[in-house]
Amino acid sequence: MKTHKLFENNSHTWLMFGRDDEKPEQIIDTNQYIVISNKNALLMDPGGIELFSAMLSAVIKQLPADKITHLFASHQDPDIISSLGLWDQALPSATLHSPWIWESFIKHFGMNNISYSAIPDEGSSLKIDQVTLDFIPAHYLHSSGNFNVYDKEAKILMSGDIGAALETVDAPLFVEDFDEHIDKMKMFHQRWMPSNEAKNDWVKRVRKLDIEMMCPQHGRIFKGDNVKRFLDWFEALEVGLIAKAKAQE
Amino acid sequence: MSELSNNYFVSVAEIAAKLDQATRIAQQLSLTASNARAVALRAGERAAGFRPLTDFIDRLAEITIKSSRKINKLAANLSQTSADKVRADSAIAHFKVVFVKAKDSEFISSLDEVHQRSLTRQAKLDFSYRRQIDRLSDELEMLSSELRNAVILATLSRVEASQAGTQYQDALINVADNVEGAASKIKEHIHYSQQMVSTLEEY
Repeated sequence: MKTHKLFENNSHTWLMFGRDDEKPEQIIDTNQYIVISNKNALLMDPGGIELFSAMLSAVIKQLPADKITHLFASHQDPDIISSLGLWDQALPSATLHSPWIWESFIKHFGMNNISYSAIPDEGSSLKIDQVTLDFIPAHYLHSSGNFNVYDKEAKILMSGDIGAALETVDAPLFVEDFDEHIDKMKMFHQRWMPSNEAKNDWVKRVRKLDIEMMCPQHGRIFKGDNVKRFLDWFEALEVGLIAKAKAQE
Repeated sequence: MSELSNNYFVSVAEIAAKLDQATRIAQQLSLTASNARAVALRAGERAAGFRPLTDFIDRLAEITIKSSRKINKLAANLSQTSADKVRADSAIAHFKVVFVKAKDSEFISSLDEVHQRSLTRQAKLDFSYRRQIDRLSDELEMLSSELRNAVILATLSRVEASQAGTQYQDALINVADNVEGAASKIKEHIHYSQQMVSTLEEY
């Protein structure tokens, strides 16, 4: 699994883990992100059970395990958080931040030690050392209880499944040619995202944020002007229709 | 009879299911005892020798139900322990991979404590698993020997039935057949469970 530094200043660092060429072939490639502050760290969408060893091996090369005091799961999907039962053994004192509606569902993955901090529908903030991270509502994109993580200082939005593309493990980390990239993400957004209303509301709110990097959970990171290009493209895209998504493939 | 499973936690669940069936049969045995008492009463003096036997059938049903329930509970606990054991084993297997993959990491020792905790938990679960298997094995053996009395009871019932006259003879022989049949089915389930328990001891 590769590790890439996205941002660093005096107070904190953003790392991305992904492109695991040892992962079993039939599972989707995922991007994991971590924010490391002075004494703590937040691991976001830590991934599926199949990736746990690779993930922990990658993480432990960067920081001691007990520094990870917070976990975040944008929603309840297995590729997001089915590794929870194992993290529960590795990080017994950590707190998991996740949508309130999934609390009793996510606990099925096994959670005897980690504590659950339920994020309300309107979102909330988490302060780790000197860093403030905002949990931005992204409901129905695609999960009905779903959040992004925004870091105002680093100008990074961890966007979960928004902006995701289905790609191979050797894909580049960043979107280079936006128009070329559309083909890789169009069907995913049309088929997985159920609501135009929710999508447009999200675009409207996210346009007001200062974003230098938009980091999805699958595929490539959008940087600079490509963030605005994505928002324009996504706003114009009709989602939630199976037939249309198939016809336009 | 299905093949014994290779996964111990599946085997444990299968044992619990088999013993649940045994409890249901034991409940039918209790009904047989009630029927036997009713027939013996109707037969009056002609079935005088049969009446005490109904008490024995009742007692056999009661012991079997009680023991089956106890064994069922033990099997359910064992099932939970083995599921916990699978999870603990899995965590340790994953830690082992990390110790190899990240062996040169300066932070690798930060996993020592949680690894040690997982090993301790695994050892506790192992101990608990083996103790529960022993108890299950003992209970199965005890129930099995109780059921040996059912064959004697059925034989005695047949002898007494033959004295009850043609009007009640068939009904009482039917009671004897039911006792023998139920005991034989329960013994079959117990024998199967004992076989499975012996495979569990190998893990």
